[in-house]
Amino acid sequence: MPLKFKVPIFDVKNLNFAPSSQKILTNISLEIFNGEYIAIIGPNGGGKTTLIRMLLGLETPTNGEIKIYGKKLKDFKEWRKIGYVPQRASLVDENFPATVQDIVNMGRVSKRSIFSRASREDKIEVEDAMIKMDVLNLKDQMIGTLSGGQRQRVMIARALASKPEILILDEPNTGVDMVSQKRFYALLSKLNKEENITILFITHDVGVIVDDIGRVFTINQRATICNNPKEVLGCGDMTALYGTQAHLLHNHKHEH
Amino acid sequence: MIEMLSYDFMQRAFLAGILIATLASISGTFIVLKRYSMMSETLAHSALVGVAVGLVAGFNPLWMAVSVAILSSWTIEYLRSSFSLYSDAILAILLSGSLAVAIIIVSLGGAFNNSLFSYLFGSILSVSSEDIVTIMIFGTISLLLLLAFSKELYFIAYDEEVAKTSGVKVKFLNYLLVTVVAIIIALSIRVVGSLLIGALMVIPTVAALQYKVGFFKTGLISLVIALFSVVAGMTVSFYFSLPSGATIVLCVIFIFVISLVVNKK
Repeated sequence: MPLKFKVPIFDVKNLNFAPSSQKILTNISLEIFNGEYIAIIGPNGGGKTTLIRMLLGLETPTNGEIKIYGKKLKDFKEWRKIGYVPQRASLVDENFPATVQDIVNMGRVSKRSIFSRASREDKIEVEDAMIKMDVLNLKDQMIGTLSGGQRQRVMIARALASKPEILILDEPNTGVDMVSQKRFYALLSKLNKEENITILFITHDVGVIVDDIGRVFTINQRATICNNPKEVLGCGDMTALYGTQAHLLHNHKHEH
Repeated sequence: MIEMLSYDFMQRAFLAGILIATLASISGTFIVLKRYSMMSETLAHSALVGVAVGLVAGFNPLWMAVSVAILSSWTIEYLRSSFSLYSDAILAILLSGSLAVAIIIVSLGGAFNNSLFSYLFGSILSVSSEDIVTIMIFGTISLLLLLAFSKELYFIAYDEEVAKTSGVKVKFLNYLLVTVVAIIIALSIRVVGSLLIGALMVIPTVAALQYKVGFFKTGLISLVIALFSVVAGMTVSFYFSLPSGATIVLCVIFIFVISLVVNKK
């Protein structure tokens, strides 16, 4: 775990989430620091998405504390620092009247005042985000006409347009083919290394990206933090999390 | 056309119609994209409760309609955001509930007369100068609010949660949108009627969506369709002595069908 940064981006302490007495998350404590590249893994229903939604203020914990940049969630105002790509973001409403540029422009909305037209900076940032995600040539196309992989890149371009310091992605590869997935992971790694964007994402493909990620959070009601991703595939945690499926993840890594 | 416009009442009718078409189509774009199409019908029926109270109690029916429609819109938004209820179910409950309350008030007050009938089906040809001024003032305020927050409302319509995590004031803007829509509907029912305003608010946008263009162009096409329908509907109703509100709605449905056929895959 990096020690050189004093204030973590996210500081979670003793987080519990048990709506209607049903335990979803129990005693979660973790920290996320600037520049990290973290994968969240765990079985379906283990609470991965719930954890992310609580970090973003979309769900309220039963108890425990979440701080963002040292501030309590309710006091945090600088949401533009956080880019969020939700689960199934690429499965868009095909009839929604939006071009690729319309979608990426949304990333600048919170930076503009009422009545204001897009400034030169807005236009530059939107174009820059589209170039990074290789969707500039699609800017006038309707979002509903794109493939799953293209839509996924558009959604990340939207998140990048606000110049976030941390990018949070919830199973971004849902509905995306294998070729696009490999390309996608290469792009994530590039954003982390070259743009110093902190990346936190939920995945089931940890075997594919084990060489790039810094840490792995395994979430199955409780959290296990693995500081060495290469160890997580061989350690007992995976068997505890996935049961007999653990070896599949391990084999998956070797196939790649 | 020139002969038709030589009458004062027709000039007022056209002006009112154009104002209502503009307000209904622009606000309707956001309502349709948020999957709130039935809200216009529900709020129109809520506004009818206000009209009934106004007629029975002797208050200005328009102001009562605005007040009750706003209260109803806030109730809808509160129920939607605070309880795990389906949005369309909430709208259906309030729609039938409002109509029931309106009928009971009117029957108790014995005021089921031509005045209420004109609010049900609209009476565009009896629009007064005072009505025009009221629509202009509150319509302009509503339109300015919609335009001021159009980029935020568009973002919310696309993905409410991502908009929230981007720092957009989602709760405030949702309440603002339903309030503005409530005002526009209450202003409109005198002109096109509570049973027909929903059509003018929803169908132009649904027709425009068939052209599969971006947000700005969709809004523009919706506006053009609404304006054309109002002008064409009023002209037809004048020359063939047909009810104006119903003729306008049939015109907009006709354009919707053409849009559907032209853009068939």
